[in-house]
Amino acid sequence: MGIVNFAPKILDPIPGGKYVVNAIDYVVNWARANSIWPLTYGTSCCAIEMMSSSMARYDIARFGSEVFRASPRQADLFILAGTITRRMAPAIQMLWEQIPGPKYAIAMGACTISGGPFIYDNYAVVRGAQNIIPIDVFVPGCPPRPEALFHGLLTLRDKILHETCRDPWHEGEPKDVSTMDRYREAANTWAALERMKDEEMAEARAKFKEENPDYKSSFKPVRVKKEEFPEIPRAAKAPVGMKQVEIFKKLQSKFDTVTYHTHSEDPLEEVVANLPADMPLEVMVGREQYLPVVEFLKNDPDFKMDYLIDVTAIDYDDHFDLVTQLRSIELGHKIFLCVQIKKDFSIDESERPTSLLGKIESISHLYPAAEFKEREVYDMFGIDFIGHPDLRRIFLDKDFVGFPLRKDFTHPEMIRRPV
Amino acid sequence: MSSLPPGFRIERDTNTEEFFINMGPQHPSTHGALRLALRMDGETIVELVPHFGYIHRGMEKQAESMSYLQYIALSDRQDYLTAIQNNLGVVIALEKGMGIGVPEKAEYIRVMLSELGRIASHMVFFACFGGDLGGQTCLLYGFKEREMVHDILEEVTGSRLTTNFFRPGGSRYDVPDTFIPRVKAFLDHMEDTMKDYERFLSKNIVVLERSRGIGVLSKEDAIAYGCSGPVLRASGVNFDVRRNNPYSIYDQFDFEVPVTYNGDCYDRYTVRIAEIHESMKILRQCVEEFPKDGPWRAKEKPVRLPVGRYYSEIETAKGLYATYVVAATTGDKPYRIHTRGPSFPHIAALNKMVQGYKISDLVTILATLDPVIPEIDR
Amino acid sequence: MFVPSVTNPIGDFVRELVPQVAAFLPASLQSDTLNSVVAFLINALICVVAVCLVNIGSAPILIYMERKVCAHVQCRLGPMRLGWHGTIQTVADVLKMLFKEVYAPSGADKLMFYLAPLIVLIGPFIVCALIPFGRNLVVADVSMGIPLIIAVNGFGVLGILLGGWSSNNKYSLLGALRSGAQMISYEISFAMILLFVVMISGSTNLMSITMGQEGTIFDWWVFKIPVLGLIAFVLFFISSTAEMNRAPFDIAEAEQELTGGYHTEYNGTPFAMFYLAEYIALVTNSALATTCFLGGFLPPCIGVAFIDNYLNMVPGVIWFFAKVYFMIWCYMMVRWTFVRPRVDQLMDFEWKFLLPVNLLLLVAGAAYIALVG
Repeated sequence: MGIVNFAPKILDPIPGGKYVVNAIDYVVNWARANSIWPLTYGTSCCAIEMMSSSMARYDIARFGSEVFRASPRQADLFILAGTITRRMAPAIQMLWEQIPGPKYAIAMGACTISGGPFIYDNYAVVRGAQNIIPIDVFVPGCPPRPEALFHGLLTLRDKILHETCRDPWHEGEPKDVSTMDRYREAANTWAALERMKDEEMAEARAKFKEENPDYKSSFKPVRVKKEEFPEIPRAAKAPVGMKQVEIFKKLQSKFDTVTYHTHSEDPLEEVVANLPADMPLEVMVGREQYLPVVEFLKNDPDFKMDYLIDVTAIDYDDHFDLVTQLRSIELGHKIFLCVQIKKDFSIDESERPTSLLGKIESISHLYPAAEFKEREVYDMFGIDFIGHPDLRRIFLDKDFVGFPLRKDFTHPEMIRRPV
Repeated sequence: MSSLPPGFRIERDTNTEEFFINMGPQHPSTHGALRLALRMDGETIVELVPHFGYIHRGMEKQAESMSYLQYIALSDRQDYLTAIQNNLGVVIALEKGMGIGVPEKAEYIRVMLSELGRIASHMVFFACFGGDLGGQTCLLYGFKEREMVHDILEEVTGSRLTTNFFRPGGSRYDVPDTFIPRVKAFLDHMEDTMKDYERFLSKNIVVLERSRGIGVLSKEDAIAYGCSGPVLRASGVNFDVRRNNPYSIYDQFDFEVPVTYNGDCYDRYTVRIAEIHESMKILRQCVEEFPKDGPWRAKEKPVRLPVGRYYSEIETAKGLYATYVVAATTGDKPYRIHTRGPSFPHIAALNKMVQGYKISDLVTILATLDPVIPEIDR
Repeated sequence: MFVPSVTNPIGDFVRELVPQVAAFLPASLQSDTLNSVVAFLINALICVVAVCLVNIGSAPILIYMERKVCAHVQCRLGPMRLGWHGTIQTVADVLKMLFKEVYAPSGADKLMFYLAPLIVLIGPFIVCALIPFGRNLVVADVSMGIPLIIAVNGFGVLGILLGGWSSNNKYSLLGALRSGAQMISYEISFAMILLFVVMISGSTNLMSITMGQEGTIFDWWVFKIPVLGLIAFVLFFISSTAEMNRAPFDIAEAEQELTGGYHTEYNGTPFAMFYLAEYIALVTNSALATTCFLGGFLPPCIGVAFIDNYLNMVPGVIWFFAKVYFMIWCYMMVRWTFVRPRVDQLMDFEWKFLLPVNLLLLVAGAAYIALVG
């Protein structure tokens, strides 16, 4: 930077000076273009391909770029490998500002170009890295192969070689394309093209029809005949631990609000028989008895449900289903507890999407694993857990508005899928 | 101590001055966009608070407006080190809903590709473990063998990383004729190289010093925090979904579930290395018994699930990967899909494991947990 | 009268030349004092240029060598595109770093921030001036060579501490403190081993230490005293690796833990200086190892007159650099093979193992000298 940028001002007026400036340009650009040190940064799948590209098979060192710097102050190139989420975006901008100029950015992969697979119906993903920092080279692919990254690197090299200190490197501006719906745009363009073609061809078609009134296309679509294979019946695997019916009977004798979850009116034995293999019965528990039931299941010597698989929830119109999946490592049986939490409709309708609608006791003192799972449910559904030691948002920013996994959730930057 | 940042809880009276360090989201050894807030007393960690969500991509919300088949492609992006196993987890849940069986050859293909994926994932673990300890060379050696797995996966599925291969009732394509010879060649090569690699790290005095007795996770804690996979088995719990609750045709193979009892970093390392050998054992059996002909997929059916809730669990390289599908109406779109990734509980247990250890040990412990952050954040 | 002490053929030549040139000047300017001062200044200039050439000139070669050695250890090719097999890759790197933007982070102590990389460079440069490169090629042939080296080596840790502290970054500070503790500890065993060399050679002058090894390869200090010399050499290798902050003892800049250690916040030219200092220290430490243990510029004679004649025909400088580069290669192979110990293990290793062994070595050396002679 700096000093070479004054060279044209001083040397250009002097006769023959422009050749010196050209020579300076050549040397400086040659150095910059051939020594591109990337920043160690990666968020998801593309990062692995970026790592692969520096490994033995592909060896990014051949281009002099194997010096991955962990500190942004020593890097030249910012390879944006992996999806950029709204939460990560400020961090990326800060990293970009910390890289000393001249600096370059490669957007690697579909996610950083447009949002990729996450473009529609998504509230969390930044649609394109060019919204937050200026990008020099885009490398398409999901994820791009290492060869594609090398092509991007060599394209960047070409770009640097065409710089000059008469118009020195300067930081570009990010382009705001966050709400641009490329699919629809492309579809409209395509439709307009088709229409234009139709209009152009209309006359010719009419003429053709006039000349050959009896013409009939001989084209027949070729269908590959699909072979039909017989399905091979497999023996059902024997369940381990207690039988599902047994578990349920035992629970019901102890707790009165326990029922089973079904979509029909069938009796218990039939429901169990119809369950897909390996799927435990879903036991419905009353909201008040949830904590005692979990406590009982954990401590009772017959059950010994010491392992929490997951806590999750499902949003329905008037209630949440809180599903607690437990298993016993020692005995091998599983149980899914399902609690219906009625939504609190006393809250004003305009405030409902942003306020906590349900309440239930936390089980994090029984299962330490539940602490983070319950935070996730709180974050995604807005269910309050009484007695939780550290109830904060876990995946989203603390000032995020709304609870994404509710069915009525809307987000200003969510593009609906055009179907 | 009321002025602590959110998440920190431990009350302690000290005369030393504590300070806070922020690790990530851009840090070379947090394996992606994970942020760890550390409360330090000198070089010793007092408490750790993980901050997630830097790669939260809203997959579960997005899945609600996708068809089941499209979600298979999305599941690749969760645990991208073994994308093929995520496919399997989703597909098994869908099959339970559709009520269709899988022909034998398809099951063999599934098992073989899953085990190849497991080897690939454990090779990345090997690489990152060595790399995070400071042995840069190890990083490259691990990835070298992984490329061979990628070659096979690419030949079969058409993609190196995000495979999107399995479908309810089988897979997208039949395997090519070169598949079996290639796997055979890979196994022969791997037998030799594994010896070298184990010599490189397993008996290395510095590695032993840095990983033995570090980050001990007791059996009770491992179960209570919901750890799974090699982390749980290193703590002395003999639990493997492949053995305890067999899916696909894992009940037909002869393999052992490696278990160690110390629960420290070195045990987690040895369990994974032993698992590579077990995977190769399964692959050897597959190669011998692979059905030459026969259908490679069940009769094609539209993927429509009846009303109900479906659940599947499989053992990926990281641990217990469970998919929970809720179909509220009979159709091709889910009402809700929830994924239980194995890495999430591991990071939840991290605070328990690092207290009192040095910042260098944190790097070792994190490497042996082998987390994949997009799988946590989804 | 002031007499400069540079004694080598070039110095003598300049000293003879200056009066001859001065004879052409007016008589009022002719005096012995002036002549000797001018001769001294010219000599000093030549020395500075020579030291800079050896140091700065070897750094790009070393960086290229490091990248190639590392690549071949890791089954890769390394830089291949610039020049034949990427030979001028480092030139591009250095040029690029010179043209990068330079700024200090907010809250940094600007003066110290920019001063630190310069301080780090001082130590290796002074040490380089003391090393005899050939029979008559030594910049400063001081009689207190070894104590001076021990004293000057402390400069490095000062620069690193200042750099880490002035960056206003917790990672830098942690890295700097680690490095301070490490370098000060290992300095002790480093000095002890040099003391051992002084003891067995009976001189603190580097030239006479080298000349004491004249003869065959078995007269080198590493082989001359059975077993003890070899142990001392290995210990020197370990402690100098730690002294240089090189992997596997690079806990100060442990990339996986502290992102960049003390130079996390440095960019552009100041960072290039840190980078340079690391490699110059590699040269000087290898040169020191060569001088103290591997016979310096003496050829590796084996006692067979026919072969020794040919070996003696090769200039000493070439032998010296061949040995230095062999040592550098060893350092590099170690760097890319071993994993890094933890910070407290490193200190344990120094205080509980290396230092006691050093003391034992000194006692054993003394006993050997007393008994055998």
